[in-house]
Amino acid sequence: MLRLKNYSVKDVLENISVDFEQGKVYVVMGSNGVGKSTLLHSIMGRPDLQVEGDLSFMGSDITDLEVDQRARLGLFVAFQSPTSIPGLSNFQMLKQALNLKGSEIAPTLAEFKDNAGALNLPEGWDKRNVNDDASGGEKKKNELIQLQMLDKKVAMLDEPDSGLDVDGIKTLITTLNDWHNENNTLIVVTHYEKLIEGLNPDAVIVLKKDEVVIGDDTLAQTIFSKGFESV
Amino acid sequence: MYKQLFSYPLLSNQKEFYYNLESLYDFLVSDDYIKLTKHHTDRNMYNDLTKCYIDNLLFLREKELPSFKDEQFNTFNLNKLYNLDILSPLESKDKFAKLDRWEFLATSNKNAMVLVDGSVFTNEAVNKKKPFGIQVLDYIKKSKHKHAEYIKLIENTGNFSNFTFGTTCYPNVIIFPHGSNDRYYKNPVDVRYENSCDDPVLESNTTIFDIQYDTHVKLKERVKLFAGQLNYTTYIVRENSTLEIDRYSDDYGGWNIFDSRFICHAGSTVKINFKNTGSQYTQENFYFKCSSDVEIDLQGRNNISKGNEYYNFVRVRSSDHDNKSTVDIRNVGNDETKTSFIGKFEISSASEGFSGSMDNPNLMLSKTAKMQTRPILDIYTKEIECTHGCTISNVDEEQLYYLQTKGFDTKSAKNILVDSFLC
Repeated sequence: MLRLKNYSVKDVLENISVDFEQGKVYVVMGSNGVGKSTLLHSIMGRPDLQVEGDLSFMGSDITDLEVDQRARLGLFVAFQSPTSIPGLSNFQMLKQALNLKGSEIAPTLAEFKDNAGALNLPEGWDKRNVNDDASGGEKKKNELIQLQMLDKKVAMLDEPDSGLDVDGIKTLITTLNDWHNENNTLIVVTHYEKLIEGLNPDAVIVLKKDEVVIGDDTLAQTIFSKGFESV
Repeated sequence: MYKQLFSYPLLSNQKEFYYNLESLYDFLVSDDYIKLTKHHTDRNMYNDLTKCYIDNLLFLREKELPSFKDEQFNTFNLNKLYNLDILSPLESKDKFAKLDRWEFLATSNKNAMVLVDGSVFTNEAVNKKKPFGIQVLDYIKKSKHKHAEYIKLIENTGNFSNFTFGTTCYPNVIIFPHGSNDRYYKNPVDVRYENSCDDPVLESNTTIFDIQYDTHVKLKERVKLFAGQLNYTTYIVRENSTLEIDRYSDDYGGWNIFDSRFICHAGSTVKINFKNTGSQYTQENFYFKCSSDVEIDLQGRNNISKGNEYYNFVRVRSSDHDNKSTVDIRNVGNDETKTSFIGKFEISSASEGFSGSMDNPNLMLSKTAKMQTRPILDIYTKEIECTHGCTISNVDEEQLYYLQTKGFDTKSAKNILVDSFLC
């Protein structure tokens, strides 16, 4: 589904190769500052990151594509600290992203409200401005609504558990497991044991500056008990 | 003196000179009033206007300002004209010398003016004070048809909810009497400032809105500029009254200087939302003079493009205690536009409890745009809260990237950010 070969991001990552397969769940771990967020955003095409090497999605080279073109192909990144946009409501943004018109709007709004309700977001969330005057947990949940409603093939979530309370973590696990199926790929950056347990990943990837270590969930257990130096 | 002038007891005692305010509404929808407006368009009035027009032309020539059709107003002579005190008395002994320029009048049912000292002047006297309400009506003497177009006085529609203002040598005085309560808030009044021709002429409107005490009014103002226009509008907002204005100015190739002066009496509230696209030259000024317990909320959202110019000046003068003022004016500059904002709070020593914020964020989308912002806080007392935030920046790169990750291309994302900035 998503393949990185001899992939480097200037000053952060060097020559790493990973193959994210369709229908699988990946957990990405790594010490602070190693470049986990940078990896996700470089895959998304963030313009201020200088990238070398091969990056392909569903067999096609996407290194020259703009951010929005990658998004429309099916890549999605959920931000660690989602940016606020005062003056733009949550549903307005989604409505425009889906290019909804006329009769399509009402059922989509109903679906939006259902999703917001299931995530225990407050009444009127659709009218609230994007990530403005929202708690850290609410911002993360907002990213989940977007993931649910935008048609995506690869979801990359950057520490989605941060800011969430106990119930929020449970809801997060349920939402991600509901979203994931054999046709898409889920990549989650996290160090939260309960989340890893709940997602039951197919692979755990430990990111280092110039290499990746891939294993199953026992790799995560090793890191929890002995630290990143042990792998 | 001024503050007391319009109080009901004084008016009751001088019925022969003043409107009985309770019957004002009846008068405005009466046949008498309609006859009065018709009177403006009759032959005699045409002659009066022609005379006034010629006088104004002579005045302009004396001041070396454009007075022929082929002469254009430009920034230089516009400023020159603007700096002229066109309402100032020509002779020092003139009784109009007593007239405080912006705090003056109501009309009587004989279409006269009432000055601050209680003197009454008829329009005949007003006309002798040349040039009052300066106007250059090109072609007016050549075409009767044009004349009819220009002289659009208040159109009475029976429900007092629809006015059209045209050029006139008289000020348009609109009084919302005490007793109308919130009638004109629930049914907002449409006010249109329009040029009706595309000649390169200068027109001037002098308008006074008098919102009597305990009255709530909403105005929907539309400014359409096909040619040059000077608008001097004074809003007298009396005790415990509310005035809301929704103003939209659109560019039809003309230019505009719009002076809005608000005299805010104790306990009054003024809320203004305005939008502007700029023009070849637009200057929009707001002056607030606040008594006590006055609340002002001025919200401007201006999207200036196509090389248009938009200059904005706001002055809030607080003369007494516990006034609140919110000024939030946002400008977007595209292409080779020019914008400026100068905001000034003048807080007197008697203004304890003043609370004010002045914000002027500017979004500069083009390197060739020129945008300026200047907040001025002139404060003479300690017991106040005052903030300001005036910035000029481009689109936030983080916000742009965030939207792009949701599938918006750069152009769409920027448009969304501009819309949200102006929201």
